[in-house]
Amino acid sequence: MKMEDMSLSGLDNTKLEALAQDIYSDLVEDACLGLCFEVHRAVKQGYFFLDDTDQESMKDFEIVDQPGVDIFGQVYNQWKNKECVCPNCNRSIAASRFAPHLEKCLGMGRNSSRIANRRIASSNNMNNKSESDQEDNDDVNDNDWSYGSEKKKRKSDKVFLHSLKQHIPLVSFIAVEIHVLYVVFLSTCNCKGANR
Amino acid sequence: KTDQLYGHYCSCLFWLNHRLKELLRAKLTECGWRDQLKAHCKDVIKEKGLEHVTVEDLVVEITPKGRVLVPDSVKKELLQRIRAFLAQHAT
Repeated sequence: MKMEDMSLSGLDNTKLEALAQDIYSDLVEDACLGLCFEVHRAVKQGYFFLDDTDQESMKDFEIVDQPGVDIFGQVYNQWKNKECVCPNCNRSIAASRFAPHLEKCLGMGRNSSRIANRRIASSNNMNNKSESDQEDNDDVNDNDWSYGSEKKKRKSDKVFLHSLKQHIPLVSFIAVEIHVLYVVFLSTCNCKGANR
Repeated sequence: KTDQLYGHYCSCLFWLNHRLKELLRAKLTECGWRDQLKAHCKDVIKEKGLEHVTVEDLVVEITPKGRVLVPDSVKKELLQRIRAFLAQHAT
């Protein structure tokens, strides 16, 4: 169907009436087709005859309105005081305390870096270590970073992670600088080649 | 011929069509046309079988009946709106 932007003003009344009938006819057909598609989908998805269920079966699906129970009739707070076993430290933790425990246990989450810092600071004060340059520690613990079960290892992992986070801005700046120099180098090479 | 005429759409007719679709659907639901046709669909499905019925089966059986079952009041109102729109844009 070719579509041009033809104006309606050139048409006389009979033509306009015929056009009106056409438009109406199209609209009705569209409605019929829409219904056919909807019904067909309902049939194929299996929900077309759902409202034909008998009264007896319908009672199984009525909304439940009892205290302590949700609308489906299920008890909804039965897991509140269950205990879970932490996969990391194998301790038994209450369900409502499980998520915060896991955060600290794995050394992830929002507060774990703060807690690590505090521990480092307090251990510095106790041991009188010269912690001016944290990079020395990084090299020692560089080889593996895993969720170890020993507390000592975990602490130095936190140190490593923390110092790395501090150096990220510097590292990315240096990387950008190197990239810029490389691009400049390439362009000067190309210029030289073109001139020859 | 009217086919050729309708084939040249004005952009304004698209808008009219779009607006009237919604209106027609609402009116047909309101007057029970949909439920009537749905019941007829059930007969077709039972005849052809739930597993084997196709869109074509439904379209062929339902569309002619659907056209006929549109209430006169709905048809009248729709045509009225279309004519008014055309009159407005033809001047």
